[in-house]
Amino acid sequence: MKILVCIKQVPESDNSFIIDDPQNWICSESFSYKMNRFDESALEEALSIKDRYKSVVIDVLSVGPENSKDIIRRALGMGADAGIHIFCDADGYVSPFLTASCIAYYIKENSYDLIFTGAMSEDYMQGQVGPLTAEMAGLPCVSFVVKQEISHDQKNIYVEREFGGGLIESFELKLPALFTIQGGVNKPRYPSLSNMLRANRAEINAINSDLIGKTDPKPVTLRMTIPEKRREGYVLSGSVQEKAAKLIRILSQKAFIT
Amino acid sequence: MVAMRKPDHKLIFIIVEHYENKPKAIVFELAACADKIKKVCPAEIKFIILGMETEKLSFEITRTTGLDAIAIEINELALYNSEIYKMVINNLAAEFLPSFIIIGHTPRGLDFASGLAVRMKAAFITGVEDLMEEGEKIYFKRQMFYGKINAHIAANSEPLIITVQPGIFEPYKPDKTSPGKVETRRVEYFPEFIRAKGIRRCKYQDSSISEAKVIVSAGNGIEEKKNLDLIYKLADIFPGSAVGGSRILIDRGWLEYRQQIGLTGAQVAPELYIACGISGASQHLAGMRKSGFVVAINRDPKAAIFNESDVSVIEDLNKFIPAFLEEYEKRKI
Ligand SMILES: Cc1cc2nc3c(=O)[nH]c(=O)nc-3n(C[C@H](O)[C@H](O)[C@H](O)COP(=O)(O)OP(=O)(O)OC[C@H]3O[C@@H](n4cnc5c(N)ncnc54)[C@H](O)[C@@H]3O)c2cc1C
Ligand SMILES: Nc1ncnc2c1ncn2[C@@H]1O[C@H](COP(=O)(O)O)[C@@H](O)[C@H]1O
Repeated sequence: MKILVCIKQVPESDNSFIIDDPQNWICSESFSYKMNRFDESALEEALSIKDRYKSVVIDVLSVGPENSKDIIRRALGMGADAGIHIFCDADGYVSPFLTASCIAYYIKENSYDLIFTGAMSEDYMQGQVGPLTAEMAGLPCVSFVVKQEISHDQKNIYVEREFGGGLIESFELKLPALFTIQGGVNKPRYPSLSNMLRANRAEINAINSDLIGKTDPKPVTLRMTIPEKRREGYVLSGSVQEKAAKLIRILSQKAFIT
Repeated sequence: MVAMRKPDHKLIFIIVEHYENKPKAIVFELAACADKIKKVCPAEIKFIILGMETEKLSFEITRTTGLDAIAIEINELALYNSEIYKMVINNLAAEFLPSFIIIGHTPRGLDFASGLAVRMKAAFITGVEDLMEEGEKIYFKRQMFYGKINAHIAANSEPLIITVQPGIFEPYKPDKTSPGKVETRRVEYFPEFIRAKGIRRCKYQDSSISEAKVIVSAGNGIEEKKNLDLIYKLADIFPGSAVGGSRILIDRGWLEYRQQIGLTGAQVAPELYIACGISGASQHLAGMRKSGFVVAINRDPKAAIFNESDVSVIEDLNKFIPAFLEEYEKRKI
C-alpha cells in the first residue's frame, strides 16, 4: 500500500508579520519556518499505519520554494520513505487551486491508495487544499478525520470525523481516497537520529511546477491589513508587579474581585 | 468585468446545516451575511436544504426568516454524504445560476465546499468574517497567519462560494415576518464511493461552563501540564468561576472536553473572560467573543487575542500569574 502525505512549511507563529508596501502580501525575508502542525498529525497518522503493516510505503510531498526541502527532510526523519518537492517559487499568495492542481497531477501520475493532508495550514488557514486536490484527482474525500482504520485486505477504510459539539460522524470508503486530518488527534513523533542521518543524504524527487499543467485559479484581488481592535485593549505598563497591581485595581473597580 | 455589477438582480444560495431536524445556529448567521451582501448588490436569498425529510425544517426556517427555500428530499440522505451534496447543489446551481453560495465554515461545510467549487469552476473564499464594499467590488475579510494579519479578498468572477466563520454575524432578524415560500423537490442519488455509517455523541458537554460568571481559560502558552495549577489558583479568586481552555489542551487530555471553548466546544458569554496563553485563532474567538470583559495575558505583543481584549497584559504568564496572586494576597491583609 502506498500513502502520500502532503506537508507544508509555514512561518513560526512568533515571526513578526509585516505587510509589504503594495499591501498585497507580507515581508517574509527573515522568517523562520516549521512544518504545519496539522501536517505533523497527518504524517503521524500515516506512520501509525506503517507501524501496523510493514509493507506500507509513505511518500511526503510539498509544494513550495527551495527551503521546503527542510520539512521534507524532517518528515523523512520521522519515518517517511521518500520525499517529493514540487518547486514553486511564487513570492506572495499562492492560490490553493494552484497548489492542489500540482498535487493532483502528481497523484494521477503515481497512483496512491491513500492520501492524507492536514485539516488546514496555520498560515493560510483556508482548509481548501486537501478537498480541492481530491476533487481534481477524482477521489472521494472526508475532512476533519479524527480516527481511521484500514481493513485487513487494505482495500477499505473506516473513518470518523468531527461534526462539532462532541458529535462524530463515521464513514466507510473504498480506497483510493483522500482524508484531511484534524490536529491534536495523535502525538507526532520526533525524528530519530538514525532516520535523520538517512534523511540528510536522501535524494528528494524535485519537480518544477512550471512543467505541470495547472488548473487556472479564479483570480482574486488581495489586500493585507492589520486586524482592527474590536475592544480597547488597554495595555498595562510597568514591572510585572506593577501590572499585577493594576489589573487587581481594574478588576476590583469592576467588582469582579472583592 | 462581469462580477459584482450592481443593478443586476442576483441570487444567493445559503446551504442549510442541520442536525436532528433542527437548523444549526450558523444558518441564521449565514442569512445575516447574505443580507449584508444584498445591501451591497440587490439579490434574492434562497435557503437550500438537503436531507431525507426536509419539509418541516424548511417551514421552520422560512417562517422565522421570511426568506424562501428549496427543500430537496433525498431518501439516501438519512445521513450526510458529501457526494450527494456536491452533485445536488452543483445541479441546482446549473439551473438557477446563483451568484453567491454561502456555506458555514464548519467541519461539515468544509467537507463539500471545496469539491463544489472545483465542479462549478467557482471562485472560492473560506473563513469569511466580514465584507465591505469598495468601488465595484465586495471584499471579504478573513484571518491569515495565526490571526495576526487579515486578508481582504475580492473575487474577480462569478459564481463565488464563501464559507463563513461561525459566531461572528449576529443572527438574522427580518423586519417583516410573513413566511417565505418553500419549493420541495425529490431527488434520487446512490452514492458511489462513500457510505455513511452514522453519527454519535462521543464527548459530553454539560452546561456548567456556560453558567460561570467568570472563566479563566488556558491555552498552549501554559507549556506544561503542571502550570494548570496556576490557572486553577487564579480562578479560585473569583466567585462563580470556571476553568476553560483552548482546544489544544483538550486534545492533549489536560482538560476535559466540557471545558473546551470555541467553535467545536462551548460558546460562552461570562461577565469576565481571562485568556492565558491563547493566541486568538478565530475558532477559539467563536466561543468567547460575547464575553462581557476580556483580559488577555500573552507574551507576544502581536497576538491576535489582544484585538479582542479590554485589558492586555503582555507578559510571560508563568511570571505574571504568580505576581498577581501575590499582590492579591497582600491586598487582603
Ligand atoms: C475545525 C476546527 C475547529 C476548531 N475548534 C476549536 C475550538 O473549539 N476551540 C479552540 O480553542 N480551538 C479550536 N481550533 C483550533 C484553533 O484553530 C487553534 O489551533 C487553537 O485555538 C490554538 O490554541 P492556543 O491559542 O491555545 O495555542 P497557540 O496558537 O499555540 O497559542 C499559544 C499562545 O500562547 C502564547 N504564549 C506562549 N508561551 C507563553 C507564556 N509563557 N506566557 C504567555 N503567553 C505565552 C503565544 O504567544 C501564543 O500566542 C479548531 C480548529 C479547527 C481547524
Ligand atoms: N504548498 C503545499 N504543499 C503541500 N501540501 C500543502 C500545501 N499547502 C497546503 N497543503 C496541504 O493542505 C492542507 C490544507 O491547507 P490550506 O488549504 O492552506 O489550509 C495542509 O494541511 C497541507 O496538508
